[in-house]
Amino acid sequence: MNVRRTLAITKKVLRSLRHDRRTAGFLVLMPVFMIAIFGFTFGGEVKDVEVYIVNLDQGVGNSSLSDLIIAQLQEDETLDIVEIVTSTSNVSDPASYGREKVEDGDAWACIIFPENFTSDIMAYVVTLGGETSSIDLMLDGSNTNIVQAVTASVQGAVSDALTEDIGFVPPIQVQGEMVYGDGMSFIDTFAPGVISLAVMMVTFMLSIISFIHERTTGTLARLLATPVTEGEIVLGYATAFGLVGLVQSIVVLATALLLFDIQVEGSLLLVLLIIFLLGVGMQGLGFLLSANAKNEFQAIQFIPLILFPSILLSGVFWPIQAVPALLRPVSYFLPLTYAIDAARSTMVRGWGLGEVWLDVLILAVFAMAMLALSVLLMRKR
Amino acid sequence: MDELGPAVAVKGLCKEYGTIKAVQDLDLSIPSGCIYGLIGPNGSGKTTTIKMLMGLVRPTRGTAEMLGHVIPIKGLGLKVSYMPQETALYADLTVSENVQFFSELYGLGPELMRSREEEVLKVVGLSERKDDLVGHLSGGMQHRASLACAMVNDPQLMFLDEPTVGVDPELRAGFWDHFNMLKKEGRTVVLTTHYMDEACRCDVVGMMHKGRLIAEGAPGELLQETGQSNLEDAFLAFIRRCGR
Repeated sequence: MNVRRTLAITKKVLRSLRHDRRTAGFLVLMPVFMIAIFGFTFGGEVKDVEVYIVNLDQGVGNSSLSDLIIAQLQEDETLDIVEIVTSTSNVSDPASYGREKVEDGDAWACIIFPENFTSDIMAYVVTLGGETSSIDLMLDGSNTNIVQAVTASVQGAVSDALTEDIGFVPPIQVQGEMVYGDGMSFIDTFAPGVISLAVMMVTFMLSIISFIHERTTGTLARLLATPVTEGEIVLGYATAFGLVGLVQSIVVLATALLLFDIQVEGSLLLVLLIIFLLGVGMQGLGFLLSANAKNEFQAIQFIPLILFPSILLSGVFWPIQAVPALLRPVSYFLPLTYAIDAARSTMVRGWGLGEVWLDVLILAVFAMAMLALSVLLMRKR
Repeated sequence: MDELGPAVAVKGLCKEYGTIKAVQDLDLSIPSGCIYGLIGPNGSGKTTTIKMLMGLVRPTRGTAEMLGHVIPIKGLGLKVSYMPQETALYADLTVSENVQFFSELYGLGPELMRSREEEVLKVVGLSERKDDLVGHLSGGMQHRASLACAMVNDPQLMFLDEPTVGVDPELRAGFWDHFNMLKKEGRTVVLTTHYMDEACRCDVVGMMHKGRLIAEGAPGELLQETGQSNLEDAFLAFIRRCGR
């Protein structure tokens, strides 16, 4: 072992970095970016879950325990109470109204206080026996994290309100009924996210590496010297990567169905369309970013910049509602967010194009914009 | 030779990268049906000139026409082909797959594609290796495969950037026989080379230095004009004459 020769190698590597300031900057800024995004994301809790409350409680005299619990719920940041419907509201069947809101995807849950809620509890308090009351939860179980968060919030509000008012907590049943995702496990929520993430990662990384390879080896210039147009090159690549994404998603879906018996309530074709659009869009993004890199090393620096926010902020592992408010706008800029939302709604809720059209439209616009920008960028040479 | 009008006509072509003048006020008139050699040291502007003509680099100033059309014009790709200096092939495809890919880009039908593939692979001596991955070939063979892809569309006008680099002398002679055959068929070959013996085989030679065309003519004329016995010395004489 010759120290001088070893140091010469070290010096050469550091000199190369000095000449490539972008890479040097990446080496310093990337860990900062990572600790910031991981720290903020993992520090977050589920917040702003849209819920409807149907309060049918008649109370006892002037006292209504449901009002106390609702007051606690209103202070809970986990929930965003969209509307409180009571028996005096201009709604013919408040319970059905609340259920419809969950079915339509306007709310994640509907919390229903029955007519005798307060009187049943008071009867229990007086006799210290017999049956107590219950709270019914109609839940969209397409996201298990949200189900857990809503249930915990309701139980916490009951405990806090009743301890404060009557000094103890009678055994109130919080009965959950799944509007969607009945009998669903975590893997069912997780599968649409993983499929979308896998396709996104592969198409994006393949695209960014392929295009930088085309540019650095001179094949792109050679292609452009033939009758092939920029649009044909971009569309050819997009079709290839879209197909790669489709095959990949079929393999992941089949594996998940065989090994974990995941639920697929809606159309698999719609899921594949969603994945195809995501694959095409990410291919375009990969191309655009690769155009700003001089070599493979610079190109791969873009990968974590796109992948980490996508993995953490788009709802793969936990819902958007668990993303801190500071980072939530980023979630809405990530195409993966819309792919996961649409794929999850299709697979778990059994929704069709009529319900997920907005997500599909956003993905289609993203894909077309990326392709159009890729063509323009190639023409700008 | 020039009855058809020039294959390439360039007027005042310039390319500047910031303060660097890669090509300056280039005027060229390359007759149809000839072999035109652009010679000059690295960085003299040969490759930039070809890339401008192929529409790969946007000129800063000047105009150019190829086969009577003002460039850039996309449809010309059918009659024109380009072989870049680097191999510029897909290493993970076989020789045959690369040739077929470029045939498809030029819009050749299946029948013609097969016959052209056979023909060009024979010219570059790769018929036996057509099923090998390009990445598994030697540098010289990769270069030959690259030339095959440039010839597959049977072009009227070919731009070949250093076509014989890394090619053994025997095959180089074969290449030149083919270039001469193309010339006899009325096609035009524009090539760059570092080999002065090859430059002597060209009908017309353009000498480039620091982005400018410092001399142009038949090799014999250039030798006669400078009183030198070889083109290398003639090139140096022209540089001295220009005072650079």
